Formats: sequence, C-alpha cells, structure tokens
Amino acid sequence: MKFAVEERDGYTEVAAEGRLNMVSAPMLRSAVADAIGAGHRLLVLNLGGTDFMDSSGLGALVGCLKAARQAGGDLRIANVGEQVQMVLKLTSMDRILTPYSNPEDAFRDA
Amino acid sequence: MTRRALIIEDNPDIRRLLEATLTRQGFEATSAGAGYPALESARRITPDLITLDLGLPDLDGLEVCRTLRVFSNAYILVVTARAAEADRLEALERGADDVLAKPFSPRELQARVEALFRRPRAASVPESELQTAARVQQGLLPERAPNVPGYEVAGACHPSRSVGGDFFDWESDGSSLAFTLADAMGKGMGAALVAATARAVLRPGRLEQGPGALVGAAARALEPDLLRLGSFVTLLHTRLDASTGDFTYVDAGHGLGLLIHPDGMWERLTTSGPPIGLLQGAEWTAHDSRLEPGGALLALSDGLLEAFPRVDEALNAAVAAVLEAPDADSAVRAIIDLDSTGQDDTTAIVVRRSRSGAGVASG
Repeated sequence: MKFAVEERDGYTEVAAEGRLNMVSAPMLRSAVADAIGAGHRLLVLNLGGTDFMDSSGLGALVGCLKAARQAGGDLRIANVGEQVQMVLKLTSMDRILTPYSNPEDAFRDA
Repeated sequence: MTRRALIIEDNPDIRRLLEATLTRQGFEATSAGAGYPALESARRITPDLITLDLGLPDLDGLEVCRTLRVFSNAYILVVTARAAEADRLEALERGADDVLAKPFSPRELQARVEALFRRPRAASVPESELQTAARVQQGLLPERAPNVPGYEVAGACHPSRSVGGDFFDWESDGSSLAFTLADAMGKGMGAALVAATARAVLRPGRLEQGPGALVGAAARALEPDLLRLGSFVTLLHTRLDASTGDFTYVDAGHGLGLLIHPDGMWERLTTSGPPIGLLQGAEWTAHDSRLEPGGALLALSDGLLEAFPRVDEALNAAVAAVLEAPDADSAVRAIIDLDSTGQDDTTAIVVRRSRSGAGVASG
C-alpha cells in the first residue's frame, strides 16, 4: 500500500492506494500518526485508490479516527469505493465514518 | 531430506531459468506466476527457499514478502529488476533474507542460496505449536448439533490458515436454543486468541439470559482488552424459543444474519450497533422476530463475501444452498464450498424449522 500526504485548503489529504488488509493496516496507522505528529489536525483519507478493505483495515480506519480526535482534530473519509462502503455498512460503522464523495466536501461544514 | 523451493515469478523465461538452476542444485522446485497462488502454494508445500519477484500481476511483491513472513520460515531471496537501494532495503525490512538484481547469473544465484543455507535458522513459529493451536481451536467448536425437536441445527468453520478469528457456538435444553457466530478482527493466531476469549465470555447463562443482557455483559468484559489491543469482534447472538419459533437476537456490527421465510423469500436481520471493542461505551439493542415452520435462520461470516462481486450475490447463493439442500448439514457444507478463494475464514450456521407440526406450540 502506498500513501501520499498533501496539504490542502483547510485540511490535510492522505491518499491511500492498494489493499487495506492485515499487512497494510499498520502502515496506514503509522502514516496517519506521522501526519498528526507533524501537526496536521483535520485529515481527509482519500480512499479512491483503495479497492479492498478487510476487518484489519476497518480496525486501522477507526484507530486513525481515534488518533485524530485524541489530538483535538478529526478524520473523515472520501472517494470511498464500493467494497469499502460495503464493509462500513455491514458493520454499521458508516454512522461513525460517513463517506464523503470527494475530499473537498469532507470538512466543508467544519 | 529433499529441500523444497518455491519460485514466484511471472515471466515464463526467467521462471524456467530459476527452475532449472535450483533443480540442478538439488531442490524440488514448484512455481507460481502470481501472488495469491504463490501464498497458497507456500502454505501447502512449506518450502525451505522462496525466490520472489517484486513485480507480480496481482499483488505487490513486498506485500507478498511480508505475508509470507507471517507463516513461513523459508529463506526468502528476492530476485528483482527493482533493485534500487530503497527497494532492496524495503525487501529486507519486510523479511527477505537477500536480494539479487536482474539480470542475474545462475552461478551467483546458486552461491547466494548456499550462503543462506549455511546460516542457522531460528524458528519463529514452530510448526508444531501452530498445529497444536489449530487442534485446540477445532476442539473449541461444538462437536455435535443440539437436539431441538422440530428443528435441524448445523454449523461449520473453515479458517483460511491453521487457526482463525471465526467461531460458532450453541447450547440447547430442548426448548430454548442459543447460538452465536462471531468474527474477531484479522487472521491467524492473534485473531484466534481474541476469538477464544470472546467465546468464553459469551457462554455463561445464555439459555437463561436474553441476548441483550448477555452481549452487553460480554462486551463490558471484553471492551477494555479490545480497545487496548486495537482489535474488535463482530457477532450475531440469537436465542430461540423452540415451541413458538420466536427469537431474539443481537447483531453487533456483523450484518450477515438472514431469516429465510417458508416461501423462499429472505430478509437481513437488523443491526443492533457497532462491533464490540471499536467504540468505547457502545450499546446494543436486541430485536425480536419469528422463525416460521418451513423457514430457516442463517448466520454467515464475511469470508464468503470475498468469493462474490457483490454482497447480495453472496447472500442469494447462500440462501439458494439452504433451500436446495436436503438437510441443514448439507446446507452448511454447500455454503462453505461456495467460498472457493479461501482468502478469509468462512463460517456458517443453519437452523431450519420443519414444516410439519413438530415444534409448534401445543398450548
């Protein structure tokens, strides 16, 4: 899995590309932890390139959300593919991690 | 003893060269042209040496390397055209023992392999311990179905590795039936330990207590550990009154419970809340429904979903398997067989209520 962190207007975008599974989940956690450590608070995870997520991946997403909130910020997800949405829906975590259609909209209300 | 080598390489010419070189060196060589079949072969043949190309058609070679390290103690020699320093370092970090740049000389390959085998290998996970764990986990599954007059009950659990995070469990006194299907995050040994812990706290009082109280108490017991470990458990727990077919259930972020009506129509059971251990202080609402004579209750784990492009297709196939099977046992077997990928743990419970008068309230 590959990550790209870019500062945008009012938020920081973390683009994750590849399969979010048991192998890559710790990488996502550390990529987001690094971004928080570097002072970024409002994070948008762009999952446009994430075509698959398993339970370990979901654990990592929620872990990242908690890390962002603990640092006084927030994390939102955008550009979420069908399979990832399905996992969020099955586990009713779509209520906590609401998918936004694109990164620019994720913090529009903030 | 013959040394076994697994060659992971998508280019047929290079594959043949590796096969010939390693066979001359006394290896019994097996080849795979892509990541997924390679991982499957590695589990099956337990090779002593793996040569790994990083540019595979389906999976990133570095991910394959790291996944291999989860269960294999083989020497991993990365043979790649991507041999810039950053790639070499990353491969070694992910568990490779050595990196050889393409194009390579067969003599250098042989020398590197011999050098690897001169180094003693400390076993990371002794195979025997994993086998013991697998036997214990199988032993924690119900041995036989409970006898509930008017109902057929069956279940099965197939971990994708030796051990896994799925389990099912049940208990009946003949008039009440309680059953649970749960899935702990991840795969392998870590998931299995969490699953065993969850199983234990979901047992006491499950025939006497309603699912709401039972799952609430279990969640309170599990939550601190799961939050600390960054893990979670999804589950469907149901208690059924055999005389009426009335049942109460809690679906904690599982989403894969189905009620099949006597006419073959089906509906998904409603969620009760999030998975256990993901959100501190979560609560779960129990729901009530009824299993009519001729109907069935079906609980699945998400392993089945990976074999189908869409959730509905997976669920339709599972329902069809239940409707076509002569009994609950063969229904469960048919459902497990639907998952041809074997990428994830697959588990199913089927509870069928007979059409005849048995099990219908007498008073």
